[in-house]
Amino acid sequence: MKRNIPLIICLVMGVMMMVQFFVPHPVSVAVYELSTKWIRIVAAFALVLGVGSLIMYHTDRLRRRRTGWPYSIVTLVAVAVTTVIGLGWGVRPGSPLQNVLFQNFLVPLNASMFAILAFYMASAAYRAFRARTKEAALLLVAAFVVMLGMVPVGRALWGKLPEIAEWVLSVPNMAAKRGILFGVALGAIATSLKVILGIERGWLGGGKS
Amino acid sequence: MKLFQYLLRIDRKIIFVAMAVLVMFPLLRPLGLGVSSGPRARALFEAVDAIPAGKTLLISVDFDPSSMPELYPMLVALMRHAFAKNVKVLLCGLWVTGAGLADEAVTTVPPEFGKKYGEDVVYLGWKAGVDAVILGMGESIRNVFPTDYYGHSLDSLPMMAEVQKLRDIPLVVAISAGDPGYRDWLLYAQSRYGMRVGAGVTAVSAADVYPYLQSGQLTGLLAGMKGGAEYEVMVQKAGYSKAYMPAVAAMDSQSLAHVVIMVLVVIGNVAFFATRKRREA
Repeated sequence: MKRNIPLIICLVMGVMMMVQFFVPHPVSVAVYELSTKWIRIVAAFALVLGVGSLIMYHTDRLRRRRTGWPYSIVTLVAVAVTTVIGLGWGVRPGSPLQNVLFQNFLVPLNASMFAILAFYMASAAYRAFRARTKEAALLLVAAFVVMLGMVPVGRALWGKLPEIAEWVLSVPNMAAKRGILFGVALGAIATSLKVILGIERGWLGGGKS
Repeated sequence: MKLFQYLLRIDRKIIFVAMAVLVMFPLLRPLGLGVSSGPRARALFEAVDAIPAGKTLLISVDFDPSSMPELYPMLVALMRHAFAKNVKVLLCGLWVTGAGLADEAVTTVPPEFGKKYGEDVVYLGWKAGVDAVILGMGESIRNVFPTDYYGHSLDSLPMMAEVQKLRDIPLVVAISAGDPGYRDWLLYAQSRYGMRVGAGVTAVSAADVYPYLQSGQLTGLLAGMKGGAEYEVMVQKAGYSKAYMPAVAAMDSQSLAHVVIMVLVVIGNVAFFATRKRREA
């Protein structure tokens, strides 16, 4: 019963939303509008579930003293402090959450993390980007063309370079990307159908029926 | 041979220092390499330029502080362009961490053009739900956002009188650092409600966007800091704004950073092949 009811809900809602997309009747539109409201409410509950899962995971890591457990303390303290400040003083502009946590913590930390990437990328490229094979050499040349074509110095070196970089992105890159996108889309359709029809049941989680 | 072996074992701190010096130098002494606008950025500029005065441009702020250097200049340039053309700007966001960044833009840009909050610009804020938020806005923006980011009821804002749903907005530009982002606007706002969608993305995501551009699903693209710089230059050339252009200023730094990485890769490969025979022996 615990498994059958969610499966029935999934089947009914999945089929209903598929059919609804092609029916412009006012009743169908009203059902659709109501469904979008429900989805937003469910999404809010999913957020609560996510926070709960995060707390349980890090509490467990802390209790078992797993590798890197001090970082779990930082995560749990951050969650607790953010929640208390957010619930206590609100999230509007000018609140401590905005002025202290966002502007003075999140912005500099986030920006620093991303900025450091440039240094690691330079170091990693120096050590690992080797033209050992023809394919690697081709990748290297394509990377050089795009990297130079995307910055002003490329145009300063040779006027045609930005055009060649554009061609690399528009033709070979797009051919590969389009293939990947079709594959992903077909996979998503197949997985969706399997979920709707109850063949794929991983989303139900563990537990006994 | 010893030189090549030394190069292969070079301390990474030396690479870090070289990178830092060469990135900082153009920020202190600009090289003035200049930025030319490409067809993708021009397409978006023309789409915004074609919005009639009094109509609304929707900008979705779907990025966080880590992508701020690349994407924030796009947001500011787009807002300047819209205000200069007397186009109203409506902002929202699919990333909770982007809420404060959009607020900063809403606070700083409109006064440059004498624009008032509520009449010329409104910021809706963030709501959980991503796809449901976009679909909901297609039916009624007020249903999804009864109040704006600052707590004002949407009914109390004059600008929102003519903006009831997505179909009332001629163009949305999704400035995205990843998912959720422009793809969600394409999937839901465009496929269901027929909205025109433009995108601004980080340089690393640019390659993913090209299929949507060629199919005509996307109306123009700003790719990375270069995209922001291209847009800033077009806005200035058209005489819409004379403000400082942060993306253009950063392009010299990015040029040198790319050159540094390429030079390092070349040196690394030369040293690797020069010492390979010896290693094999």
